[in-house]
Amino acid sequence: MHDAAASEKDRLKLLDDPQEWAHFSHAEHDGACASSVVFEGMHCAACAIAIEEALLQVPGVQSVQVSAASHRGRVVWSPQSTRPSLWMTAAERAGYRAVPANDAHAHERRRQEARRMVWRVAVAGLCMMQVMMYATPAYVTAPGEITPDMVALLRWASWVLSLPVLLFSCAPFFRAAWRDLRQRQISMDLPVALGMLATFVVSSLGTFEPDGPFGAEVYFDSLTMFVFFLLAGRWLELRLRDRTAGALEAVLNRLPGSVSRRTADGGWEPVSVRRLAVGDVLEVLPGQALAGDGTILSGQTQVDEALLTGESRPLSRGVGERVIAGSHNLSGRIEVRIDQVGAATRYAQIVALMENASLTRPSMALVADRMAKPFLVLVLFAAAAAAAYGWSSGPAHAVMVAVAVLVVTCPCALSLATPAAMLATAGALARSGVLVRRLEALQNLAEVDTVVFDKTGTLTSDAFALAEIHVRDGVLPEQALFWAAALARQSLHPVSRALWSQARQRAQHVGQLAELEGQTVSEVSETAGQGVAGLLLCRGGQPMALRLGSAAYCQAPATGSDRLQVSLADDSGWLATFELQEEVRPEAAGVVAQLQALGLSVQVLSGDAPQAVALVAAAVGIAAYRGGCTPQDKLLHMRQLQQQGHRVAMVGDGLNDGPVLAGADASFALGQAVPLAQSKADFVLMGGQLTVLVETLRRSRQTLRIVKQNLAWAAIYNAACVPLALLGWLPAWGAGLGMALSSLLVVLNALRLSASISAGSPATEDH
Amino acid sequence: MDILFLLIPLSVGLVFFILGGLWWAVHKGQFEDIEAEGERILRND
Repeated sequence: MHDAAASEKDRLKLLDDPQEWAHFSHAEHDGACASSVVFEGMHCAACAIAIEEALLQVPGVQSVQVSAASHRGRVVWSPQSTRPSLWMTAAERAGYRAVPANDAHAHERRRQEARRMVWRVAVAGLCMMQVMMYATPAYVTAPGEITPDMVALLRWASWVLSLPVLLFSCAPFFRAAWRDLRQRQISMDLPVALGMLATFVVSSLGTFEPDGPFGAEVYFDSLTMFVFFLLAGRWLELRLRDRTAGALEAVLNRLPGSVSRRTADGGWEPVSVRRLAVGDVLEVLPGQALAGDGTILSGQTQVDEALLTGESRPLSRGVGERVIAGSHNLSGRIEVRIDQVGAATRYAQIVALMENASLTRPSMALVADRMAKPFLVLVLFAAAAAAAYGWSSGPAHAVMVAVAVLVVTCPCALSLATPAAMLATAGALARSGVLVRRLEALQNLAEVDTVVFDKTGTLTSDAFALAEIHVRDGVLPEQALFWAAALARQSLHPVSRALWSQARQRAQHVGQLAELEGQTVSEVSETAGQGVAGLLLCRGGQPMALRLGSAAYCQAPATGSDRLQVSLADDSGWLATFELQEEVRPEAAGVVAQLQALGLSVQVLSGDAPQAVALVAAAVGIAAYRGGCTPQDKLLHMRQLQQQGHRVAMVGDGLNDGPVLAGADASFALGQAVPLAQSKADFVLMGGQLTVLVETLRRSRQTLRIVKQNLAWAAIYNAACVPLALLGWLPAWGAGLGMALSSLLVVLNALRLSASISAGSPATEDH
Repeated sequence: MDILFLLIPLSVGLVFFILGGLWWAVHKGQFEDIEAEGERILRND
């Protein structure tokens, strides 16, 4: 025992090494550290609150979020004033073990926990069956038909077999209840543990002291039965919950623990994925996952990037092509040179995003959690009152009525109702390439009645063709394009990206790529909705102050064209205007039609010239459009819609319309090229395809419906069973069965949402 | 009927014996990956 305590201390000490932090923490912008941890020993929503309270007491801990459904938590702490070991010890004192979420041991330990759980259910089940055998004679015979010796023997045997159930199978309930008592708190385990103890005491008294105040009645059969039902219910629920949260887990645990790296002498050695560095060469066999972003050096294969890009088809990859961390190698052996590892990979960004999302608590769940506590206090009083009321007519019977009340009212179902459904949906969406950043957004999205699209990069594809270049007299079009490209490279705006890629193509064509990429720009500043400005350092010449952006920003003359334009200016005024041809996304018209069929009104808001917007709006079938909007205009327009009572979903590219996305009730970003961490949207469509939008919307409505069903079911169950138990019509074993079934029903109902989205969705019909 | 006085204690012992067997099975990992054994025949390697 002492050794265990010492090694535990060592384990925590190790985590104080800043090198170890890095594996489960990342730095926040203000110098604080955000750590992901798994808490062991959690049972319910009240546990999440208890952990949060305990950790917030530690000086230096800034914020704590714990998810009851996934047992994961995010702790933000300041390295100046605390250490992981300090707050982890605080969690341990509160009765929960904190394990770094990316710790390879977390998996092993979870397996052991699952193993112990199976074992507990098995012991309870086997003993229950045998105790039932011993109880049968008492039910089927008339009094006096069996000799008193035999009755006593049967009771003794029942008592002996109830002992392992009470001491071993019920241990988690007792441990949790004791922890709550010590901390003057109350959780769902306290009433249940009280019920178990009371039943056992009454029955033991009946066995050994048949003439005592509780009479000769025994309830070992009830005890073992409801313990078995409770445990079996909890075990099934655990497994189901693992499956609902499973899609999240599938992403979170996708990287292999160890990889095979090439050594200096050309052999292969297994190394931990943590020790992987940029430049290493790995051997990846079929069926293995990629540990980092990299380039294929040899071999030809197919990879599955479904979880990362939403592309469900296997993709062919050959020598020189890039593969990404977290994708699966499907068919051939490849050798890969690692270009990026750890937090720099897209995979890591997705994981961070999903981890945070699964921790947000939807407001509906918060209400349920807050109600749970007073409800439990009420239950304790009701049980005591029921026992007191029936005491005079028979103490043993009165106690058993109280036990039924205690067991039946556990509000597990109530607290599981919302998070289980939303996590299931988030998991299903993740598998088809839609990342949910906030669970709450699912609820908002279900109530949306207006969808507002941004135009550029949203209704139209990212790819533009350069149609025409107008220049000031004396300026060469090619030269102007080079200058513009240098600035465009600094910006992530779709137009800038298009300009850069077009310039690159042309430069490559004439063999001047090195020159183009050699240009350096300093003092870059970007004004949202206007353009980007910077100082271009020409080789051997004066630095040039350039501006690239809208016509107004560059005082460009009108060209009389409806096409998308971007202009370039220097200190002496307008230099050039580039006309870009944009292409409407092939799926856009279909998506708009489907949204309209769902009863939503669809609009376009764009910063582009009204004529250009009109063209696109007409092409996709949208009647309401508005061009020439600054980001402020867009925000204002959306606020107006919201004031008129509309619920608005905004679809944008996730970068330039940050404030608009943040102001919308629900927001989507088409995030293929966008750094995920910068995106402000509630939903990120990773595949860069609009088609999943419709299905996401349908799924969110379905989610809200199921959450409501779950809450209604939990409420009805408690409203119906508590009076039954109080009246003494519900036996203790029936209460245990009801309790277990009600939680299971809620989780099973939620599980319907985790069905894959591909079925019937137009996004995948063409496969 | 006197034989019951022997049989009932024996049945208690039997339950503990079976529990011992179950303990072994659970802790040898028999219930952890139920599908894998069935799928193994489908795999190439």
